[in-house]
Amino acid sequence: MSQNFHFLTERERERERERMACFDRASPALKETLLKIYRAEKPIEMDQRLFEFGAVEYHIKSSASDPQYVYLSISTPLLSQEVSLARGISQGTAQTIKGIHSDMVELIEPAAEGYQLTLRLDFYKIPQGKESSKIITEIASIQAAILSCQLKDMLTNVTSQDTSQGMYKPIKLVYHPREPFFVVRQPEKTTAVFPMRFQEKTDVIIATAFFQELMDVGSSEAWVKVPLCAWSPIPPPELRGEQMEDLSTNGGFISFDILPRHVKGKRLDKTVWNLLNFYAFVKYHVKCTRGFIQRRMRKRLDNLVKVLHVASSEEDGYAIDPQGCGCIKSIISVPKPNNTVRRRCRNFTRKIKRMRCPIKIQGFRRFRRRWLTVPKFSSPFKYTKLD
Amino acid sequence: MANSLRLYLTCIRNTLEAAMCLQNFPCQEVERHNKPEVELKTSPELLLKPILICRNEAEKCLIETSINSLRISLKVKQADELENILTKKFLRFLSMRAEAFQVLRRKPVQGYDISFLITNYHCEEMQKHKLIDFIVQFMEDIDKEISELKMSVNTRGRLVAAEFLKQFV
Repeated sequence: MSQNFHFLTERERERERERMACFDRASPALKETLLKIYRAEKPIEMDQRLFEFGAVEYHIKSSASDPQYVYLSISTPLLSQEVSLARGISQGTAQTIKGIHSDMVELIEPAAEGYQLTLRLDFYKIPQGKESSKIITEIASIQAAILSCQLKDMLTNVTSQDTSQGMYKPIKLVYHPREPFFVVRQPEKTTAVFPMRFQEKTDVIIATAFFQELMDVGSSEAWVKVPLCAWSPIPPPELRGEQMEDLSTNGGFISFDILPRHVKGKRLDKTVWNLLNFYAFVKYHVKCTRGFIQRRMRKRLDNLVKVLHVASSEEDGYAIDPQGCGCIKSIISVPKPNNTVRRRCRNFTRKIKRMRCPIKIQGFRRFRRRWLTVPKFSSPFKYTKLD
Repeated sequence: MANSLRLYLTCIRNTLEAAMCLQNFPCQEVERHNKPEVELKTSPELLLKPILICRNEAEKCLIETSINSLRISLKVKQADELENILTKKFLRFLSMRAEAFQVLRRKPVQGYDISFLITNYHCEEMQKHKLIDFIVQFMEDIDKEISELKMSVNTRGRLVAAEFLKQFV
């Protein structure tokens, strides 16, 4: 995803790519740690915990006596509170994880205490070269895979309990804390509804402008294949009956209609990941826009100030008579002194100052003030100011 | 430039040319003090009648003159909420850096978006007609800048929306 690439130089784009690592499926910290263990010349002893997004925890354990295997345990908050914690990970999730390089990754059951999942990674079976980086990146994307599986399970397992008066009950999902979103299953489509909340009014207005553009782009002919997007300031009818605290927003509600073609095959992963990261995407866009406005204002300030400095600098070297004063008619133009003249004046001034006598003589101060002060050759004012 | 804007700016220019006749005038109440009388408003005989020039309900310019100072307050057009926040942000940004402009007031007069305070000292240091040109140019530039900012924000939003939706294809 590129946010503001079109407005940046090449160097800034590189920095932008690094910053947007939070939208990558692979955990950057986990990837870096696994690569460090893999590339270490000597076997290293490691027992490290990593925390991400406030609630995701990784536990990496490697032993110097057994460098072949590295144990990775993962604890991630569940998307929906309706799923029982005792069940741990579902069958679908376990199948997906087993599908990730089954010769190198083994699912250990039961998982380590306090964690939902423990994997044993066989580093000796990872091929050398560029392939190793790719495999480790896939392993580091395990948390994204777990969450995506949870959402896929919920979307595919619709039971009779989920319907009420012919309408499907919205499923409340929490990926980011305090930012729940709803998924409503319908016969022809699935609707994802995001209640948007922002802390400042400026953010609300920038985000609302973005949502308007999102709707316009989504409804254009060139973008027929994308999910239909709608924004409304009031809760949509599908969310009737939900708790007030979930429906009170200042940024309105944005909904995406996900059709079967958006969740077929490989597109299912992309769609699910995009939906999970929609809040973060919008917040990041708002932050970048504010930064852009600030940069632009600073640039404009320089241009505006230049105009005023030109107005005041043109005054140098000219003494123009003020309007209404008929005494002085002619315009006196004082030529600017060149460097030689300036240097000579400076030397002369220094000589005068050196003539200060170190011994204090009574009455000499008055003499010095009267005869030895350097006269002013030019005055910035057109007339002598009376105190 | 639109016809109504040209007339509006011409009217402001002519008024400023007439109003910017400032001279040094020490404070009548406090010894050895020299204050801009338009700010204090303690001596009515030193103040001229304020002039309000309105282009429409949303845009207006208030020119208050005194013997040694002149205050110009501007209300900028704000068509929607986005322009409203962009105008507030930008003018507040400029006001906080008022020392760079010398003639800009740190806080606008109540009911207006931005204010200038020109004293006799400014008229001595800078050319009067250049000062007036600066004020008029400033008004044009602010309008242009707000419009460009709004367009940039919307264009960015459109590009970002396109990038987001591309992920689903």
